[in-house]
Amino acid sequence: MTNKKIISLVLGIMCFALTVGICIQIRTVENTNSAVSQSYTENNLRGEVLKYKERYDNKVKDIEKLDQELEAKREQVTANNSELEEAENQIKQGNKLNGLTDVTGPGVIITLSDSKAEASSVMDSSLLVVHDLDVLSVINELKNAGAEAISINDQRIIPTTAIVCGGNIININGEKIGAPFVIKAIGLPETLANLARPEGYLSILKEYQIGVELKKSNNITINKYSGVINYKYATTIQEK
Amino acid sequence: MKKKGKLTVTITMGIACFALVMVMFMQFKIVSETDITSIETMREEELRTELANWKDKYQEANNQYEEKNQKLQEYKDKEASNAESSELIQKELDQVNVVLGKTDVEGEGITITLKDSDDVEVGKITSDNLLSIVNALKLAGAEAISINEERIINMSDIVTVNLTVIKVNQQRILSPYIIKAIGNQTYLESSLLGNGGYIDQLKKIGHDVSIEKSTKNNKIKIPKYNKEITTKYMK
Repeated sequence: MTNKKIISLVLGIMCFALTVGICIQIRTVENTNSAVSQSYTENNLRGEVLKYKERYDNKVKDIEKLDQELEAKREQVTANNSELEEAENQIKQGNKLNGLTDVTGPGVIITLSDSKAEASSVMDSSLLVVHDLDVLSVINELKNAGAEAISINDQRIIPTTAIVCGGNIININGEKIGAPFVIKAIGLPETLANLARPEGYLSILKEYQIGVELKKSNNITINKYSGVINYKYATTIQEK
Repeated sequence: MKKKGKLTVTITMGIACFALVMVMFMQFKIVSETDITSIETMREEELRTELANWKDKYQEANNQYEEKNQKLQEYKDKEASNAESSELIQKELDQVNVVLGKTDVEGEGITITLKDSDDVEVGKITSDNLLSIVNALKLAGAEAISINEERIINMSDIVTVNLTVIKVNQQRILSPYIIKAIGNQTYLESSLLGNGGYIDQLKKIGHDVSIEKSTKNNKIKIPKYNKEITTKYMK
């Protein structure tokens, strides 16, 4: 008799728990219904973004393949013609300078990171973070020191690259990148390292407790620009 | 009989437990999902811009793909003829040189003229001002830029030497500074002159700045970089 009582008691408790569980769930579902429909468009959007990103990446890969084919064709065409061979070499060198091929060489790696100081310890906490203008100035000094190729967090600096602020990140070549900024530059390491001189821009950044690190290296690889360069407005003035 | 009853009870309890656990898992899942959406509902606007951005980039890549495909086809078609394929190569070299800055170019665009102010409070135009203008022009899609006829190439620097002398490409330049840019004229002008644009900001602090648009008969002409572009270190 007691056995049966215990069993029904247990069953009763379980049923109760189950009911409570179901009730909670129904309430959650009701609450979130509005959010779910909204997030539906969001997820759609996110899916779309990913889809286009993927399609873009695939296209860029296709273009790379085409480039190789084109180069092979060009070499074939120019093989027996010294004048054309010269033109082909100039195209190759030009593409290198324009940032369309991977390059290696000696140079420096500069790392800029936001200050670790307490934001409350200074008057203006925005002084503690690396800004677009800081990066722009460092790039300008590198060019002044004779850098031949530069990248920031693997985004190659090409002739049309702008460096702009996008909230607490920086926008380069349409890609969003955040601190720490790793700037690679190819050139004579000794000259490039001169950026760390007193009164140089890097020293000023250090005064603001921005993390600055400069390393010389004999073997730096800088990736090519991953997008496409497409000029529509500028045309060569034909000599008459 | 007694044994059979126990078995039934055990099975019933087992099923009940199983159902309960299932329900709980379902609930956990829903709760965790709703958590994500609550963060991300705030970003719909951002997602839309992001999508537009990638659509543009894809379109551009697609255009270039078509273009290159056509070029390859031309090479294949004209394989037999030496003269024609040589023309193709020259054309390609020209395109590379336009980006590089090794040819004189023309096209639609704008001319910006800046003068040093006599007013001490407004001050002179600095190399940083020029650097920011060039950066803003690039952002607005400028394809070729020059300051006082010095072509801005990928390796160009704009610096102040001895606190007063401004140098571009190691050449000294003086006020008035005439910056020429080729690109989509409307876009170049509006992004610099529009509210919050860099030229707009300079004007507001009292600088003497003017922008002039090119016309059909009077295109912007930008000279080539007048030195050899040499590299010693990169391979």
